[in-house]
Amino acid sequence: MEVLGPDRVTDGSAARRLYSRDGSVIEGGRAGPVCFPETTGEVVGCVQAARAHGRAFVPRGAGTGLTGGSVPCDDPVMIVTTRMNQILEVDRGRRVAWVEPGVVNLDLAHHLAGSGLHFAPDPSSQQACTIGGNVANNSGGPHCLAYGVTSAHVAAVEVVLSDGTVVVLGEEQGDSVGLDLRGAFVGGEGTLGVATKIAVRLTQDPPKVATLLLDFVEVADAATTVSAIIAAGVLPAALELMDRRVVEAVEPFVHAGYPLDAAAVLIVELDGLPGGVAHEVGLVTRIGSQGGARTVRLAADDAERDRIWKGRKSAFGAIANIRPDYYLHDTVIPRTKLAGVLDEVYAIAERHDLLVMNVFHAGDGNLHPLLLFDSREPGVMERVLAAGEEIVRASLAAGGVLSGEHGIGLEKRRFMSLQFSPEDLAAQDALRRAFDPDGIANPLKVLPTGASCGDVNALDVVPDGVWV
Amino acid sequence: MIARSSTTGRIGLRDDALSACVSCGLCLPHCPTYRATGDERRSPRGRIALMRIVESGLAEPNAEWLAAMDTCIQCRGCEPACPSGVPFGELMADTQAFNSGTRRLPLRLRLGLRVLGRPQMLRLGTRLLALAQRMGFFRSSGFLPGRLPLRLPRRPAPAEVDVVLFTGCVMDTWTPHVHDAAQRVLEATGARVGRSGTAAGCCGALHVHAGLREEARSLAHRVMAALPGDQQVLADSAGCGAMLKEYGDLLGTEEAHAFSARVADVHEWLVERLDRLTPVGGRSEPVIIQDPCHLRHVQRVDGAMRAVLAPFVPVVELDDEGLCCGAGGAFAVLQPDLAAKVRDQKVAAIDRAVARSGAAVVVSANPGCSFYLGAAGYQVRHPLEVVAEGLAATGGQEMTDGN
Amino acid sequence: MNALDTFRDAVGESGAVCVRGGGTRWAVGGLPRPGTREVVAPSGVKRHDPAEMIVSVGAGTPLGDLREVLRPTGQETTLDGPDGCTVGGVLAVGHSSLRRARVGALTDALLEANCVGANGRTFTAGGPTVKNVTGYDLCRLLVGSLGTLALMGEVLLRTRPAPEHAMWLEGEVEPDEVAAACYRPSCVLWDGTTTSVCLEGYQVDVVEEVSILRRLGFREVGGSPVLPPFRARWAGNVPEGAVLEIGTGVLHQPLPADLPLVDPAVARLAGRVKVSFDPTGRLNPGRDPYREAA
Repeated sequence: MEVLGPDRVTDGSAARRLYSRDGSVIEGGRAGPVCFPETTGEVVGCVQAARAHGRAFVPRGAGTGLTGGSVPCDDPVMIVTTRMNQILEVDRGRRVAWVEPGVVNLDLAHHLAGSGLHFAPDPSSQQACTIGGNVANNSGGPHCLAYGVTSAHVAAVEVVLSDGTVVVLGEEQGDSVGLDLRGAFVGGEGTLGVATKIAVRLTQDPPKVATLLLDFVEVADAATTVSAIIAAGVLPAALELMDRRVVEAVEPFVHAGYPLDAAAVLIVELDGLPGGVAHEVGLVTRIGSQGGARTVRLAADDAERDRIWKGRKSAFGAIANIRPDYYLHDTVIPRTKLAGVLDEVYAIAERHDLLVMNVFHAGDGNLHPLLLFDSREPGVMERVLAAGEEIVRASLAAGGVLSGEHGIGLEKRRFMSLQFSPEDLAAQDALRRAFDPDGIANPLKVLPTGASCGDVNALDVVPDGVWV
Repeated sequence: MIARSSTTGRIGLRDDALSACVSCGLCLPHCPTYRATGDERRSPRGRIALMRIVESGLAEPNAEWLAAMDTCIQCRGCEPACPSGVPFGELMADTQAFNSGTRRLPLRLRLGLRVLGRPQMLRLGTRLLALAQRMGFFRSSGFLPGRLPLRLPRRPAPAEVDVVLFTGCVMDTWTPHVHDAAQRVLEATGARVGRSGTAAGCCGALHVHAGLREEARSLAHRVMAALPGDQQVLADSAGCGAMLKEYGDLLGTEEAHAFSARVADVHEWLVERLDRLTPVGGRSEPVIIQDPCHLRHVQRVDGAMRAVLAPFVPVVELDDEGLCCGAGGAFAVLQPDLAAKVRDQKVAAIDRAVARSGAAVVVSANPGCSFYLGAAGYQVRHPLEVVAEGLAATGGQEMTDGN
Repeated sequence: MNALDTFRDAVGESGAVCVRGGGTRWAVGGLPRPGTREVVAPSGVKRHDPAEMIVSVGAGTPLGDLREVLRPTGQETTLDGPDGCTVGGVLAVGHSSLRRARVGALTDALLEANCVGANGRTFTAGGPTVKNVTGYDLCRLLVGSLGTLALMGEVLLRTRPAPEHAMWLEGEVEPDEVAAACYRPSCVLWDGTTTSVCLEGYQVDVVEEVSILRRLGFREVGGSPVLPPFRARWAGNVPEGAVLEIGTGVLHQPLPADLPLVDPAVARLAGRVKVSFDPTGRLNPGRDPYREAA
């Protein structure tokens, strides 16, 4: 390939092996040549080179995805955007920043610190994940409850389509002219093209932030309090739930002051102007107490607030000290059904003799059950997958959806036909075909096709002919 | 390095250590070589995955594989970032020990490491280099100090001391003024200070990095033999301090663990005795803090360094979360291109701090970082040089060493 | 047979067809080609669940009716439009509310849509929860598509707490000063001389910010200024008689705007999307989302 110098494209076996995986448990992908373009023109070159050689291509950011969205099937050209990592322009007046896709989410946050503006999506992987990956996955995070997921914060995006043309979708300001192709592209998991520049919307920092910690002796009480808060007309900036096992794992490391004997704690963050925040603090305190909270603690200062959040954000780290492996799910259910579905999740884990922990975005009903295991234990993976499937089915039965922020990738495409009818899936495929008529952009992801990906099989047991 | 719970494979890595990595990728932004390249092969997650395939016999080490390992600076910036607590330093040291058994290291590295272990040779070589420097034969190369000392003082170790300052190899010969400053500060607390001197010699850290574990072990034995007793051993070089603290793991003996327990970084020791240090007061120019990796990520005493500096000088923080500067012991010599890219990131961070604060001086508690950043054009000083200058003249209560 | 099935049967499997809502913005993007059959989407609020912050509603429901149902619960949607408009019409036209800074973009409002496709069969876009990244985001694609890709029958919308208090002010002050003085005002308008501001939220906060704006020279007024009828995209100046939405770049002006210039590559992509969803071009023929300036 003449598109890139020899230092930025490799066919080495080590590189191909490393780029066959992402942050998920999915193994068996097969990467072709690995490219590190630095400009839009070079991405176009990579796409055209893939076409010329009859290959597909897979865009990849930091590879922190949890559903195999960037796991390659059948030796595609890997288009790695990590070297496209410049923050091109910050327009504070119009509250828009143009960034390259390889900019790390937290780097953008640091860059904006002190400007009075921020980029709202804050996925738990924000220290490593890239904005391009956030766009591909329509990523969320704790603070998406009030502010919305990535799509609400992407004004425009420059895309290299699978035929090598470059388009800018969306507008820096205001509604789309014509079709909202930007909205369709965001969350496309790399199957609609490669994002090469992104205009992100910047949100004004709130003048006042209050963080509360509520603790409960019953998980169900915590879950019911979540919907009671929302029903009372309060839309918190963040509303997170951690169950007892998480608290027990985290507290010794972080000393956040979580009560160790609580069945669950809620972190409620309220922001805005001081009067409203004070009013809502009172309201949440009252609702919590009526809902069975033993204590409601308001963080006295930034240090205490940071400790409370550090506990939440360290949860995975603490968990790794209990079992070496985890499988993290990501379904969404109506928040009024939280208590019942959580009960089911505990029962499912118990039936499969697995440890489960729950630490999740309760405010929007986005469950993250963590199944803990040691992959060296024979047969454990089968139990983990079986339990995972039951959790997915329980969530759908409660009126939920397959994914709130991790996407479908390879992991969940076999479940797509549980949530969608063949007609629903055909409509989604219509969009995909319009963007990628030849099916060479990250093929075999998102929609179930019956075809298998590389040597990936454990997660991919869709019988032929489920749809299409 | 620790007594193995189990090793299953070719390299002999500890199974628990290897399986602790769940490939989440949170280490990526904390790895200076991944930052500079965006390449998984230059990342902790990638290197662990590659260790795994050789360990389990799925592949043979080839040039691409070895390059992935050799481009690791071993800064261990990934360790504090890892939610699963993967002991990356151990995995990489074990891997390099395995590699050193399968190939010959570059001649210049072997020669260089041999000299470090022989104080007389180092002193002689240094005098020759210093002469050559003054005669204009070569410019500073980036891993030597800008001006090597021509005369090297010899000091007798005092018989009765409270603490021993570990003086090591290159620092003792190339930048003895740093040890002098450290000693002044230590003595200002009222302590009687001895020096490890040439009898103890080199700590062996660079040998471990290069995978020469046997050589490192023999150096460790010499250090321990030269420093009997139970006084605390204080290191003013972050890299040496980290190594001395790991002798227990390196040698696996009771005696070595006991020795390691005596070791503290100078700042770690001083922070307990801050009340005995009186600043002369008045305004002083701010300094930019550069955290040596082995101070921040390995010894994790960067807080102590700040606490010691704070009464003496306003400090300016970098905004790069302790990313490595690229020096990495012999790394800047062995991987000059990559090291320079890594240093570019540090230079950008320092320049941002300079623009923000107007500070002109960078402080760093590690000789390698100091030389390498000095070669990039910064005025780099040891934190204790700054503290020593800021000490009130009456600070020293019991001067025991007449130097 | 439920309302959606009735709608499906009315749409049928062939023949040009369009949906009539309130007809308040019937000409946006072009009139339906003569001879196009008109159908009407189901009407009525099916379910409102305040604790879930969602409401399920027939696309043919007048927006005013939806507001009446939501008002007692203290919630609202981001949908906004002229008197007599319908929920489906607002979504098809795709113009965000003037209060977008508070309530969010219209494209973020639609969670799930039960549609009839060009093949005459029903399909569902999106999902029933407030957060969802399952599959492709067809909902955002449908908003503003003028019914050219599929016809919405029933929709599930995000709701949110309505403000306790609202206040409009105006003053001969540069709009930049408002941005510096206030926290996320719901709307800032500028006609080249006068800035109009909408503040919404808890009364205590609104009162406080009103007093700040008064000191800058603002006075309280009864409501939003009357906006001229046509929309354009701001190109750097505010013509006589026009009003600019600060932060969105939407210009409301007395005369129709020139059609936007669309990058041919984007137009080709949009064309492929249209053909992919509606190969025979039977849905709202004559209408084109790109024939609308902003």
